[in-house]
Amino acid sequence: MEDILEPSQERNPGKLWSPSFIIKLNRMDLSGKNYKDFIDRNEALKKQYSPERAEKQHSKGKLTAHERISLLFDPGTFEEIDAFVTPADTPVEFGKVEKTYGDGVIVGHGKINGRLVFAYAQDFTIMGGSLGYVHSKKIAKIQEMALKMGSPIIGMMDSGGARIQEGVASLSGYASIFQNIIQSSGIIPQISLIMGPAAGGAVYSPALTDFVFMVNQTSYMFVTGPNVVKEVLNEDVTSDQLGGAEVHATKSGVAHLIYDDEENTILALKKFLSYLPSNNVENPPVLQEDATPDINEKLREIVPDDPNKPYDVKEVINLLVDRNSFFEISELFAPNLVIGFARIKGKTVGIVANQPKVLAGVLDIDSSDKGARFIRFCDAFNIPLITLEDVPGFLPGYEQEHKGIIRHGAKMLFAYSEATVPKITVILRKAYGGAFIVMNSKSLGGDFSFAWPTAEIAVMGPDGAVAILYRKELAEAKDPDKLKAELVKKYRDKIANPFIADESGYIDEVIDPAVTRKKIVSALNALSNKWVKVPARKHGNMPL
Amino acid sequence: MNMMNIEKLIAVSSSGKDFEFEMPLKDKIVIQGEEYDIKLYYTEESGLYLVWNGKKYPVEIVKSKQNKYEILFNSISYSFTIETPFSLQRMKVLKVNKPSVGNISVKAPMPGKIVDIICQKGSKVSRGEPLLILEAMKMENEILSPIDGTVLSVSVSKDSTVMKDDILVEIEEKKG
Repeated sequence: MEDILEPSQERNPGKLWSPSFIIKLNRMDLSGKNYKDFIDRNEALKKQYSPERAEKQHSKGKLTAHERISLLFDPGTFEEIDAFVTPADTPVEFGKVEKTYGDGVIVGHGKINGRLVFAYAQDFTIMGGSLGYVHSKKIAKIQEMALKMGSPIIGMMDSGGARIQEGVASLSGYASIFQNIIQSSGIIPQISLIMGPAAGGAVYSPALTDFVFMVNQTSYMFVTGPNVVKEVLNEDVTSDQLGGAEVHATKSGVAHLIYDDEENTILALKKFLSYLPSNNVENPPVLQEDATPDINEKLREIVPDDPNKPYDVKEVINLLVDRNSFFEISELFAPNLVIGFARIKGKTVGIVANQPKVLAGVLDIDSSDKGARFIRFCDAFNIPLITLEDVPGFLPGYEQEHKGIIRHGAKMLFAYSEATVPKITVILRKAYGGAFIVMNSKSLGGDFSFAWPTAEIAVMGPDGAVAILYRKELAEAKDPDKLKAELVKKYRDKIANPFIADESGYIDEVIDPAVTRKKIVSALNALSNKWVKVPARKHGNMPL
Repeated sequence: MNMMNIEKLIAVSSSGKDFEFEMPLKDKIVIQGEEYDIKLYYTEESGLYLVWNGKKYPVEIVKSKQNKYEILFNSISYSFTIETPFSLQRMKVLKVNKPSVGNISVKAPMPGKIVDIICQKGSKVSRGEPLLILEAMKMENEILSPIDGTVLSVSVSKDSTVMKDDILVEIEEKKG
């Protein structure tokens, strides 16, 4: 399964999957009436998915629902259900309803890299993919099957929204879909691919799922569209500016992964799924052991001597995990915290790392939200957490305080503490104040805590500490700058280092950066049977 | 159109040149009607290299993201994307529809002090290239260009302090 995205292997997924009418008709006895109806119906369905409809999608730069399904599943494995259902028989006094088969959505199951996955794909060419009663029933049916079988479910959205003609029936349809997502949450991985519009209530179906993929320029999500914005606020805004992939990947954080075209989106999803277990009882699939060296001296050279110089924490990640296995999530949103899946000795791990290169790696509102949600996903699906820490603290300032960094930072704290999967921390450099506590500290339930010799563990940075403790002396000194420099040096030597924490047991070991992978591997082995007794309760009250 | 049986892929270079090649990859490739014998190798010691006419040429993949690649070949860097016939068609459709972003102002992400200015008025920058260095949270932060384009103006000077959302640099988006 390695190098799934290699173009030579994966861009040739075989023949286009097609519904049941592919059966060789000439072998059949056509005289019986039942068979004749059967064949006629198949022919009618075949006609419905005509090349003209496909061309309409292609001219917008989109694929049809059939093509998406064919790209997603291993060749020949997809089985469609409910292909012949027709729209609900509601008296139409306003607008029109096309009498089509399938009611604008394809649902079914198949294999992705050999594993069972359920999926639904909305078909924009049929009544704009609008969600009517029957359409929603089909989705709800496949959701319930996925939950029962304990397999991931993929939703491919390309829909104009609720079907106006059907009124409250379609609204209740949405509600039952949401209810199913919530009931399955934390039991099976649920992933949404936005491949066209998703507006109004429709946005909450992807928002409730675990991960959202979007396609640049052809997909958008918003609660109220540009027309309403124009009417109510008199602001001119395009769909793309309001809720395009780029906006949701960078500003709102709604989209976890964005790609430039649908083929890349689907190929990436297939790779993404290879990191996840099928459900919360199983463990993620294990790949063959990797030849990545356990001892790597390059790790000693990444963190600069000057504590004010940034570096790219992704370099550290890439040297610690199996070669090329790091799959970053939400790369563009709150980039001061890096999250993603990777493999160590072929086993999936979740990485949470402060990024000194962006905003000095501070924790702020967005990065806390991003981290907390990822930690909870990993915990639900038995994925061990590796935390790489270099955090100067929480971002100060009235903007963050007024928007509630207290509430948001608490989410991260809650998520880390609540997680019962193996939790390993490596302190690379700064570990100051409340942020040190939050980033999976040992006393918060972290299983193993290592520190590099470059680590600085203290209540606050040297400058701040000196200014508070020696305010009087500094004010009276003849040469305050010189005194300050001396005190800062003393503080760094005596307090802001990893050795005090090590000698008092607040971390487990100060390690040579070169052996970090080796230490993580043995810690993961030691934790492989970790079991935590959690108190019985309905659920904790996580700060939201 | 049946896009599922892909027999060829197209490399589109940043200069807009297309180069088609057949799938699965063959050791012989055809350039302007002439056939060349080219092989790619990878070893742990010498990395990736290409053999042509009995000579070895080192190839380095500098960046690869999704279908975008930047490679270093014979010390010259090339950037290109790999497209299928369908995605190439899509690219062309969307290029026509895409509205121009116009000018973009790069704002300070947090309060701090400008310690170095790397770009100048009129300099060409590409997405992800550092424009200036802002010291905040006791750390030197690189402020990166969000788009490909030309610097229109730099509104701060070295050692000046800035507030959050102060405009630092204005960039005009590259056309095309």
